Amino acid sequence: MTMLRRLAPFMPLLAVIALSFFIVIAAKGNPIDAYSALFQGAFGSLQGIAETLTQTTVLLFAALGVAIAFRAGLFNIGAEGQLIVGALCTAVAGASLHLPKMLEVPACFAAGAIGGAFWGLIAGWLKARFGASEVITTIMLNYIAYLGANFLVAGPLRGSASAPETAQVWSTAMLSPIIPLTRLTAAFPFAILTAIVLWWWLHRTVGGFEVRTLGRSERAARYAGIPVQSVIIRTMALSGALAGLGGASDVLGLVHRFNAELSPGYGFTAIAAALLAQSNPIAAVFTSFFFGALQNGALSMQALAGVPKDLVSVITGLVIMFVAVNWFGKRVTLHGAPSADSDDLRDEPAPEPAT
Amino acid sequence: MNGLLGLVAAVLAIALIKATPLVYAALGGVISESAGIINIALEGMMAAGAFSAVLGSFYFHNLALAVLVAMLTGAALGLLLAYLAVTQRADQIVVGMAINVLAIGGAAFLLAVVFGQPGASPEVKSFSSLGRVASEGLMDLFVSPGRYMLFWVAIALVAIVHIYLYRTRSGLHLRAVGESPHAALTAGINVIGYRYAAAIVGGALAALGGAYLSIGEVDLYSDGMVAGRGFIALAAVIFGRWTPLGAAGACVFFGFFSSLQIALQRAQVPAQLLEMLPYVLTIIAIAGLIGRSRPPAADGVPFTA
Repeated sequence: MTMLRRLAPFMPLLAVIALSFFIVIAAKGNPIDAYSALFQGAFGSLQGIAETLTQTTVLLFAALGVAIAFRAGLFNIGAEGQLIVGALCTAVAGASLHLPKMLEVPACFAAGAIGGAFWGLIAGWLKARFGASEVITTIMLNYIAYLGANFLVAGPLRGSASAPETAQVWSTAMLSPIIPLTRLTAAFPFAILTAIVLWWWLHRTVGGFEVRTLGRSERAARYAGIPVQSVIIRTMALSGALAGLGGASDVLGLVHRFNAELSPGYGFTAIAAALLAQSNPIAAVFTSFFFGALQNGALSMQALAGVPKDLVSVITGLVIMFVAVNWFGKRVTLHGAPSADSDDLRDEPAPEPAT
Repeated sequence: MNGLLGLVAAVLAIALIKATPLVYAALGGVISESAGIINIALEGMMAAGAFSAVLGSFYFHNLALAVLVAMLTGAALGLLLAYLAVTQRADQIVVGMAINVLAIGGAAFLLAVVFGQPGASPEVKSFSSLGRVASEGLMDLFVSPGRYMLFWVAIALVAIVHIYLYRTRSGLHLRAVGESPHAALTAGINVIGYRYAAAIVGGALAALGGAYLSIGEVDLYSDGMVAGRGFIALAAVIFGRWTPLGAAGACVFFGFFSSLQIALQRAQVPAQLLEMLPYVLTIIAIAGLIGRSRPPAADGVPFTA
């Protein structure tokens, strides 16, 4: 029984993998060929593994952002927008600041974190101040970020004659591969370290306790004297900062400049990774790795087995769906009552402590 | 028509045409949210509708059947939403996200599998075969009613949904289910049934909006063609305060910005800034800065008897 319970978090994955077998067969493909090509692509060579870890890096940062917001009971659908703003700020910093590498790289990461934090902060402030559902505001902010970035790289920030993109960052801002001839950079260990620090912060500090309490029950948090509004704003800023670091690692390690199309939807896959990890930062390392492998392996699957790489999106959607339903134990509950919740936040003054 | 009057008429015509798919999806959103089911899956349902309409037209060479196929696909996704949200009581935002990812990815996957070419489908029979374009702006809507059939249906639907929600007993029941399901249950209303029906009809309407994009406006499906319109429709639902007339008005308002953008292209006004406006305005609306926008009280709350 305990064994079964331990396995419960993996059940959605197994169910979806089984289901996708039939999808491949229905699409007149050979599932064995498809999955062995996928596996080969993701893990079959040093290059393959390095590329899987490269994909994992960006996803993990964004997934940590989504997870930390979940822990506070906030649904940040805006990781994609925060990642875009973070990437843009990183690219601008990397192309304008000209510092020694030891300073340039941290400065550029900081720029990404600040950009993402700012974008997350907007949604947090709107929720805390006006009770505006962060689900709606982050969806809207995603599009504002995308269109705004498009506008900026087409005009004011355009730094390339050939395409709407920013200028290339200085060479001191480029992360070099830690395995030769791959794209895997120090951003990967940095992401892992971030996950560990985040877990420690969440479970061993007052700040983390406040986040977890708010996530369990807003009422309880209020009675415990936790400044609910300020925790909401802080958490959304932190969530955005983490997604922004994902954007920064993409710019500094992979593309070296910003264009508005640089994310293939990392922010949305990150939601799946965070849900599957049940918002545990350490578990998010593994779920991000799973989706990273899937994304990387899908290219080989398409090339070698002729199964369209979009199967990955189908699998991602199914995973979210299976996790959302409590068929396998723990139910995901985030939004008991968004409207009542926010009204509560606005109108009900915090009770005075009994004297 | 010449000069300024002609330009105004052209801008207005484009605004109405651009608003049409949004109106369908927004009405779908209004119906499902009035019954208490948050539908952030409008985007995915539109993509599914756009793709399946092309699929239907490709196999049947018949527009009515193509539209039917699209609506059935949307209804199936609505049924899925209802099953997960109502019966399984799963978080409606998470489920909506899942349907978006699944439907958009599924359309791309099937596009490659069925037509053997990624990116775009071959051209199929579309509404453009039903009438010529006189390119006289507003007049086109009257000169070629066949071609713009879906436009006229959308206008009729706005009125129908409005009358249904506010002038019929069943509409009152639907709204009761969204505002106060327990009171509705006490009054003998079938809460679960209404929620299922609302989600299914909502899905079918959103898919019809998608069908308009693929076989109404053009004659093929291409990856990413919905391009956020489902979320603009969601914005219109909020901006229109969860009412059919308000949401349709918001759609025309948003459509007006799209057409203005075409008219202003020569005037060097950046298109992206105009495209951004619906999203910015929605944030302002939901923050209550221009009068509070309030969803139905039980919107998104799973029902437990």
